[in-house]
Amino acid sequence: MAGLLLSGTYDAEGFRTCSVTGLRIHRDVERYVKLFALTAVVALLIGGISAIFVALTRWEVIGLADPPAFYKWLSIHAWNLLIFWMVFMEVAILYIGGPLVLGRPLPAPKLAGVGYAVMLGAALMINHAIATTEAPDNAPLLTSYAPLPSPPLFYLGVVLFILGVIIAALPFFITIWREKQEHPNRSLPLVSFGAFITSIIALEALLGGLITYIPTFLWRIGVVEHIDAGWYRQMYWIIGHGSQQINLAAMITVWYFLTHVVGGAEVVSEKLSRTAFVLYLFFINMGAAHHLLADPGVHMSWKHWNTSYAVYGAVLASMIHAFAIPAGLEAGRRKRGLGGQGLFGWLWSAPWSNPVFSATALGIIMFGFIGGISGVVMGQTQLNLTWHNTLGVPGHFHGTVVLGTTLTFMALVYFALPVLFNRDLVFKPLARIQPYFYAVAMGLATIMLLYLGVLYGVPRRHPSVMSFPGTDFNFAAASPLFAIFGVAAILAIIAGASFLLVAVGSLLFGKRVENPALVMPPLISGGSDDRPIHEYSMQGTFTLTLIFLAVFAIVYAVNWYLLGRLWAIG
Amino acid sequence: MSSPLKPLEGNWWGLPANRHEKAWVRISVVWGLILFGWMVGWSFFGNQNQHGPTYRIEPAAYRAKLAAYREASTVTERGLRPAGEDVYIAAMRYGFDGLPVILKAGKTYRLHLTSYDVQHGFSIRPEHALSKQISLQLLPGYEWVIPMRFDEPGVYHVICNEFCGIGHRTMHGIFIVEE
Repeated sequence: MAGLLLSGTYDAEGFRTCSVTGLRIHRDVERYVKLFALTAVVALLIGGISAIFVALTRWEVIGLADPPAFYKWLSIHAWNLLIFWMVFMEVAILYIGGPLVLGRPLPAPKLAGVGYAVMLGAALMINHAIATTEAPDNAPLLTSYAPLPSPPLFYLGVVLFILGVIIAALPFFITIWREKQEHPNRSLPLVSFGAFITSIIALEALLGGLITYIPTFLWRIGVVEHIDAGWYRQMYWIIGHGSQQINLAAMITVWYFLTHVVGGAEVVSEKLSRTAFVLYLFFINMGAAHHLLADPGVHMSWKHWNTSYAVYGAVLASMIHAFAIPAGLEAGRRKRGLGGQGLFGWLWSAPWSNPVFSATALGIIMFGFIGGISGVVMGQTQLNLTWHNTLGVPGHFHGTVVLGTTLTFMALVYFALPVLFNRDLVFKPLARIQPYFYAVAMGLATIMLLYLGVLYGVPRRHPSVMSFPGTDFNFAAASPLFAIFGVAAILAIIAGASFLLVAVGSLLFGKRVENPALVMPPLISGGSDDRPIHEYSMQGTFTLTLIFLAVFAIVYAVNWYLLGRLWAIG
Repeated sequence: MSSPLKPLEGNWWGLPANRHEKAWVRISVVWGLILFGWMVGWSFFGNQNQHGPTYRIEPAAYRAKLAAYREASTVTERGLRPAGEDVYIAAMRYGFDGLPVILKAGKTYRLHLTSYDVQHGFSIRPEHALSKQISLQLLPGYEWVIPMRFDEPGVYHVICNEFCGIGHRTMHGIFIVEE
């Protein structure tokens, strides 16, 4: 283990120069990036195993788990994938975006170690609490909606985990502080800026989490007598959705990073890309209100204002990134003379057989078309009536955090294996197809979830919908879609396992590479002419984004049509 | 070179953007306004708006209200026939108090919705068309009054779609909408 974490040779100050990115990397930064990323991969393994039980219970032809076991597996699935896999990786991304990109040492490395230990202990505590849940407690799922009680240890674990993340983030904040002290007239690199915005959104979410979970813990152990369900929902979603916005901002930061290093992308407009990040900072937290659209107690105008992210400030930000990232690739590759012919020559000629690139690109496409569009549609106040708590909701967030963020973080691991761990990939043909295999299988499973939810009204968080005791009513009409879902889910799990096989196999048995630039050819340099980047053609990207907008408009119209057929409400 | 890994110096804010990027930003702003405008507009011209007042109420007080309502209603073998326009329903582990209920097609009712214990879902669809469905969240301590008018006669099935405990999957109730 120690060997995995310390694989390079460093100069007297503890730095080495990366042959792929040209960055100066400090030993402590590298060590903790690896430690957090490896732990994230372990969480991915646990979450992946639980996916088998969740998917094969919902596909009732198999019906793997009984209801109590199903809810426990569903909780394990949610916490290990949506929280531990993501958040451990995001701390690694903060250290990459902060000290690694800025070429600085890790300040207060002891804090990183303490934060890591607290996070790990809390993650184990949460998993233990879920696995040993007994009446009158219930498995928490992700949301632990009060007043349904979850195990006391669970709430305590969550509070500790939040504190651990805050501690682990401190070295990042100190890094940014020192950088600005030393270079007050120099702007952060875009990747550091994205990480910085991510960290602020994260801090807001984490404080919201403390406001939620400390009183809830006190209520559960009997110190506080009453907990209000409406209060809990409003407070919980500060972290419940806030944590997903961390995933979003971190993922986009990684998109700018990886498309640049392996694809030759450049930043076509610092002004617009940074404005987009700032829009997230101001508006995205309001978006959490979309979890309350079908709730009593909050007025329609409150719902309209907050979910519209104040006239779609955050949606606008995502639309800007949706153009800026492919445009960066297009202009950057045209500048370097890479497949510059025609509308899409830059795209066809991209390194599609490099899993770092393909996983990133597929993540961008799938996130936009599936996760992004479904999110905006279900976030419209009235449309939410037809989505709320159906399988369409897990459909949406498998479009965002699985097809988007998980694929992107897989790309980051594929990148880190040679570049930080100095290991060549094993099973190269498998590694080449894995992102495609995963994107297609998971994409199909996700689309089935969306159809099952919106077109059949199949509820989420339900172990059996093919029969309801005491009535003939059931959702048997949806069973063909469940069959497609079940098969696609099994394939997606196999594709996820392939990723773990390549990642862990490479760590343990991969050939040692002293110069990672040989196996991960960087496209950072080249294209030395002086023409400013914004003068290169971005017509291909413009065409792609117009296609995206057309799909968006069609899905939007279909959803309103479905709603308009219903009986009169309100 | 415009690298996302290098610090910026000088007036990068003043650098122009590509015309296609500027066009896309304008399109996005207009699209955002359309999304917002249509949603707000639907509140005025649309027929499906989850709009209605909410009152704080203790579960015991709501039980008393529901009992009084049941007294005033006609009890039939197939369910309650409400006397007026108010319909009282409460979710609890693991069923719906106040269901089944028999409603007249084309008449607007005020549905009073709450929960007696934990959070529940109130997910409705007619038997003949699963795709025509909506869900509402029910919270203990809150009475939500939402008007609804069912024009299509038939049996409407209600299930809980918020996890409420091990028996969650067994929650089911019906409305009957008659000509």
